[in-house]
Amino acid sequence: MYNTDSKEKEYSIQTKDVHLHYGDFHALKGINIAMRKNQVTAFIGPSGCGKSTFLRCFNRMNDLIDNVRIEGDIFIDDVDIYKTNIQVDDLRKHVGMVFQKPNPFPKSIFENVAYGLRVNGTSDKNFVQERVERSLRQAALWDEVKDKLKKSAFELSGGQQQRLCIARALAIEPSVVLMDEPASALDPISTAKIEELIYELKKDYTIVIVTHNMQQAGRVSDSTAFFYLGELVEFAKTKTLFTSPRDQRTQNYITGRFG
Amino acid sequence: MSFHDGKSINKSKRLAQNAAFVIFRGLSFAVVAILVIILAFIIFRGISVISWEFLTEMPRDGMTAGGIFPAIVGTFCLVVGSMLFAFPVGVMSGIYMNEYLKDGWFKRFIKLMTNNLAGVPSIVFGLFGMALFVNRFGFGDSILAGSLTLGLLALPVVIRTTEESLKAIDDSFRVGSLALGATKWQTTSRVILPIAFPNIITGLILSVGRVSGETAPILFTVAAYFLPRLPNSIFDQVMALPYHLYVISTSGTNIEASRAMAYGTAFILILIILIVNLLANWLRKYFAKRVKMN
Amino acid sequence: MNQLEKELLRIKEKVNEMWDLVTFQVNGGKAALVHADKELARKIIKRGKKVNDYDVKIDRMCENLFALFNPVAVDLRWVLAVLKINANLERIGDTAEGIARLVKEVDTAFDAELLQITQVLEMYDAAEAMLTDVRTALAEENTELAKALIKRDKVLDKINAKADKALVSYMQAHPENIAQALKVSNIIRKLERIGDQITNIAEEVVFYVDAKVVKHRQKGKRDKNKD
Repeated sequence: MYNTDSKEKEYSIQTKDVHLHYGDFHALKGINIAMRKNQVTAFIGPSGCGKSTFLRCFNRMNDLIDNVRIEGDIFIDDVDIYKTNIQVDDLRKHVGMVFQKPNPFPKSIFENVAYGLRVNGTSDKNFVQERVERSLRQAALWDEVKDKLKKSAFELSGGQQQRLCIARALAIEPSVVLMDEPASALDPISTAKIEELIYELKKDYTIVIVTHNMQQAGRVSDSTAFFYLGELVEFAKTKTLFTSPRDQRTQNYITGRFG
Repeated sequence: MSFHDGKSINKSKRLAQNAAFVIFRGLSFAVVAILVIILAFIIFRGISVISWEFLTEMPRDGMTAGGIFPAIVGTFCLVVGSMLFAFPVGVMSGIYMNEYLKDGWFKRFIKLMTNNLAGVPSIVFGLFGMALFVNRFGFGDSILAGSLTLGLLALPVVIRTTEESLKAIDDSFRVGSLALGATKWQTTSRVILPIAFPNIITGLILSVGRVSGETAPILFTVAAYFLPRLPNSIFDQVMALPYHLYVISTSGTNIEASRAMAYGTAFILILIILIVNLLANWLRKYFAKRVKMN
Repeated sequence: MNQLEKELLRIKEKVNEMWDLVTFQVNGGKAALVHADKELARKIIKRGKKVNDYDVKIDRMCENLFALFNPVAVDLRWVLAVLKINANLERIGDTAEGIARLVKEVDTAFDAELLQITQVLEMYDAAEAMLTDVRTALAEENTELAKALIKRDKVLDKINAKADKALVSYMQAHPENIAQALKVSNIIRKLERIGDQITNIAEEVVFYVDAKVVKHRQKGKRDKNKD
């Protein structure tokens, strides 16, 4: 159903007038956005502005929450992920996700990375082996763990665990990687490593990152979207948004003059 | 007035604290003391009859001599039988309730019912087991009927521990697995259950302790008054330790003569429960380690 | 290398390219002066536009770097220094362009005697050398060299101070060449200004490397030369 070879197509994620309600709460108010392939897009905004909620629409993680209603269209690589006959597990293979807190499984380092392959029916031993190594290399973790692949993932440091989670997401070769504040639970050194990694990864993946840290958005992203009270206030090249935002609310937020 | 001049206007609050802790400590020691006394009493009275013979031979002379071997075997059969029933059913119900059932009136209702089931007196289970398994299903007084009855008794505990073990697992594991394209069942079976396993197994073994000590449910469904042979099939009656203890202390042919036997039986029963509890502890630690490593 | 380092490197490359242009403008100015090479002078003037583009570009890059990377410590000092170095380079370029315009206007070659007595060529050599050395000082983070440059600026000041006298006597001896003499006077003043701008760059180098402020140390002298 998904065609991962279509990298040359311009937009990876496009949304049209997306509204989301949690029960009575109108959390997203008509979001239109188009994110380019092989670029890093950052979502910034105060807590509760809807940026994480919006991110979770792209791999339909909001389906897990009761009482959520979504209107509008979301296209990922030109497939309408809500309207057509989509299996969520296929979608999630195509759209990987990394979470705020590192959440490796209580398995060995190797099995953590291999997990996505196994649940998706890959059993060829050599293939799994190769893919695990490649993913760990992509996540810049291989050199640190190659001698202890059989050890528990819990023996790694927080930063290493997060890179392991990134490797785990990469192993199933998604085309889009969603990152929900991937460095907010990490120390500055680990954060810097993750940020470097994001830079490297955009060669092969389209990345959307939610962050509370505006400097982080500045450092890693090509484009930045500012959300406020469920609206997409401004979406522009990161350089432009951080040097000359058009909207007063964006200006207030990034200069720390809110409220 | 400063904090280091040794004078305090709040002497009373310290006094209250000291008094409270003295009382708590006293009560805790009292509880332990009572426990020790009971154990010591039984061990002291029972140890004299413990011998290889006592453990491996049939009772003789109106249960005033010989051993309790058939009762041990009977209890073992009943425990295994009840767990074969309660474990899969209980664990599956627990998984269904925690992982699949959405919050709502139905879930609340099932929870209420399981909690009520846990509160039902064991003699009622016995009566029910007799009506259903022994009479209606026609199993007769048999290991099968007794096991199922004991299994029903253990079921709420198994369901509850399974549910609690699953509930204690951070959602980030589930979300992480689902985000990799795993189905709910793959998530449950490959990630969640292995993590919950140590706690589930603990709950299971603790219910083994409870089941092996129950008298009332087996009273009408399986237990034999005196049956100095081993069972051949699941439709046989068996003796069981708690019931045997009850019999020789209350309605034996010669209660005075079998007094020592009674304490010996009690001692074995307590020993079994103690071993089961220790095993539970050890298994939990063992599996907890395994889960992280694997 | 992290992303900030990559960005810094990109700015550094731009600064170097700009420096090449400005060096060409200054060095070429001397040749044009000696040979009254109008073609060369025109070329120098043309480069001025490019230098201005670089000035804008580097300013913009620094602005983005501040906004996106929030540089601190040595990185912060480097970007701040580069901002000012950029401005000074642009002004050096402008001044060199001004000289080229003067050279373009003359019809005949400058009188060799005039050039000799005013020591304008020595001044040129000194300025060229300083421009090269300050670039080295920045590249090698050599504060000793930078500090020495601040002192070397005095050579230019001295020649400038003596030039008026020499020019007056020249004009008395060669009244037919007063127009040329005035131009040379103008060139000398411009070269002196280039020296000041190089000194400013040297001060920024010291600030970047040692985090010390050395400008305004010799207030009396500097005020006199303010434009």
